Amino acid sequence: MSPAPLIELRVPVDPEAVAIVRTSVASLAARLDFTLDRLEDLRLATNEACALLLGLSNKPGPTLTAVVDSPIPGTLRVDLFRIGTSAALPDRDSFGWTVLHALVDSVAVADSDGEVHLVLTATSGMGHS
Amino acid sequence: MNQPHHPHQPLAERREGERQMLREFAAMAPHDPGRSPLRDRIITSHMPLVIAMAQRFRDRGEPLDDLIQVGMIGLLNAVDRFDPGRGLEFSTFATPTIIGEIKRHFRDRGGAIRIPRRLQESRVRVNESTEALATSLGRSPTVREVAAHSGLTDDEVLDALESAHAYSALSLDNGGGDGHSFSLSDTLGGDDAEFEQIEVRETVIPLLAALDPRARRIVVMRFYENRSQSEIAQEMGISQMHVSRLLARSLAQMRDTLGADL
Repeated sequence: MSPAPLIELRVPVDPEAVAIVRTSVASLAARLDFTLDRLEDLRLATNEACALLLGLSNKPGPTLTAVVDSPIPGTLRVDLFRIGTSAALPDRDSFGWTVLHALVDSVAVADSDGEVHLVLTATSGMGHS
Repeated sequence: MNQPHHPHQPLAERREGERQMLREFAAMAPHDPGRSPLRDRIITSHMPLVIAMAQRFRDRGEPLDDLIQVGMIGLLNAVDRFDPGRGLEFSTFATPTIIGEIKRHFRDRGGAIRIPRRLQESRVRVNESTEALATSLGRSPTVREVAAHSGLTDDEVLDALESAHAYSALSLDNGGGDGHSFSLSDTLGGDDAEFEQIEVRETVIPLLAALDPRARRIVVMRFYENRSQSEIAQEMGISQMHVSRLLARSLAQMRDTLGADL
C-alpha cells in the first residue's frame, strides 16, 4: 500500500464544516481499505465527536481543527481540536460517550494550550492489527 | 374557521388586532368556551407566516403543501405556548417553532431529499454489491471491493454511502434563507451540550422509548450489545446501508427530542 496520506483541516465551526471533516475521514478510511462496517462507524463517531466539541460553546469559535493520520497500517487516528477546556465536556458516562466508545477502538481527551484535544482511533477490520 | 384575516386592512391595524387576540387568548381559562374559536382565528390570521416560512424551503424536493401542513403544527404549538407578558412579538416567538417542524419533516424523510437519480441508482448497486460480497467474503467488504464488484469508482461508492445518511439535517441549516440566522444551538452543538449534561439513566431510556421499535432495537444492539452493522443488518433482514442510516437518524432524533424538552 502507498504511504498513508495525512490530512490537516482547519475549518470554521459550523455544521457544513463538520460534513467536510466527516467526508474526508471516510474517504481516507476507504483508501486504507476499511470495511464498510468500520468506515460507517468511524464516520458516525467523527460526527459525534465534532458535535461534542461544537457543544463546548454556543459562540461560534473561529475554528475546529482535524488531523487525520495512519500511524500504523490498517489504523486511522483522528485528532480534533477546539478552544475550550475538557472540564466543560459532558460526563464521561453520558450517552454521547457511550456511543463514541462503541463506535471506535479508543477515545482519549486531553487539554493542551487552551484547547480540548479529542483523539479517536479505529482499525480497518481487515486484520492488520 | 370563521374569520380569515382581511387582506385590505391596514397592516398596523391588523397587527394590533392580532396582538389583542393573543392577549385575550392567553388570559382565558382552559375550559372557556370562547377559547377554541379564538384559537382558530389566531391560527388563521398567522397562516401567512407559515406560508412564508414554508416557501423558503420549497426547492428542496418536498411539496409546498406538505411543508405548510407541518409548519402549521409548529404554529399550533407556538399559539398554545405563547406568553404575551414576556414582551416578545408572536412572530419572533413562533418562527423557530415553525422552522423546527419543517426541518424535522425533512429529517424524517431521511436521505430521500434531493438525491439525483444517478446517485439513487448507484445506491442500489452499492447495496446489492455489499450484500453479495458480505456473503461471499464472510465479512463486511471494503469500498474498493464494492467498487470493483459494482463497476463504480471508489468515489462513486463513497458518494452513495454519504448520501444514504440522515446527515442532510445538517445542510438544511445552511440554506434556510435570509434574515433568520440559526444559532449553533439550533443544530447539533447546543442540543448536544445540553444532552450530555444529564444523567444517562434519566434521559436515555425515555429517549429510546420515543424511537420506533425497530430503530430502538438497532440502537440497543449497536451501542449496548456492541454488534456490528453487518450483524444487525443480517439479523433484521435489511441492508447494512439501511442500518447505518437508521443509526444516524436515531441519534439525530434523540438529540432533537431532548432539545425540545429542555
